Amino acid sequence: MTMHDADRPLDALDRAILGLALEEPPSGLRASILLATAYRPAPPFSFWELALLGALGAVAVWFAALLILGGGALFVHTVATIASAATSALSNGATLAWLAAGGATAVWLSLFTVSQPVAHASHRSGPRNVP
Amino acid sequence: MKAGPEDGELVAMTLQGNSEAFATLVERYDRAVYHLSYRMLHNVEDARDATQEAFFKAFRSLRTFRAGAKFSTWVFAIAYHACCDRLARRKHDASDELPDRADPAKGPEAEAIALDEASRLRRAIDALPEKYRAVVTLFHLQGRQYEEIATVLGLPMGTVKTHLFRAKEQLRRLLDGMEVTES
Repeated sequence: MTMHDADRPLDALDRAILGLALEEPPSGLRASILLATAYRPAPPFSFWELALLGALGAVAVWFAALLILGGGALFVHTVATIASAATSALSNGATLAWLAAGGATAVWLSLFTVSQPVAHASHRSGPRNVP
Repeated sequence: MKAGPEDGELVAMTLQGNSEAFATLVERYDRAVYHLSYRMLHNVEDARDATQEAFFKAFRSLRTFRAGAKFSTWVFAIAYHACCDRLARRKHDASDELPDRADPAKGPEAEAIALDEASRLRRAIDALPEKYRAVVTLFHLQGRQYEEIATVLGLPMGTVKTHLFRAKEQLRRLLDGMEVTES
């Protein structure tokens, strides 16, 4: 008998192994898998919504701190300083040009990276890896 | 024979946001993945956890699934690695010197049931060393697709065939021994 008799026709032991019934999974296994994967409830907020809410919350806390620590005068002064800095920056032609270029690039890149990975994913040719 | 779309199509449909497609994949393979996990771990809870982990990881990493590959092989490989992790943790745990050979859910009644041929074979497979148990279980699940078995185990195909040959030799010896003991 050679080491690789697995290449030979199926013998009685092979047939017995192949004929074994699969173990019966515990009840509820499939449901719990599906609840953790395909049927997982969608989160109430997306990542970007959470980020926006967080940013708004931080600004609100900052305003509240300004009001509590320095009263209305400090609040008005801070907001006026920020508004003036923003106005002077946005009135600069070079700044506006860079902002426009950045925005256009972001939109252009989003055309490639947002809508297409799903379509490309089924045509991957790289080596398979086990996560 | 599987009815309906091929596994690769179901993967593509899942990636396009079709939840039902992944549910179909789970329906097709959850029992086989559980079987592999149970044969490796000999414990219902551990096998259940490994099966869940395998499908969860597969779902999360579906984009890395290579077109043209077999989904069953891929998910078996994930499950096999999950089982190996658990076996390694058991070995590391000093309180777990002896592996669980028996399912704790099975009581004395189950033991008392006369062993038919399939039960004897199952017990003999369970008594095999880990590496042989894995190859025999995958042979059971995938037939003689040695290349697929080799992919799951991360071994060369020649090693898989050698392991299977030796596993079957041991199985024959174990089955003969059982017959002698029972007679």
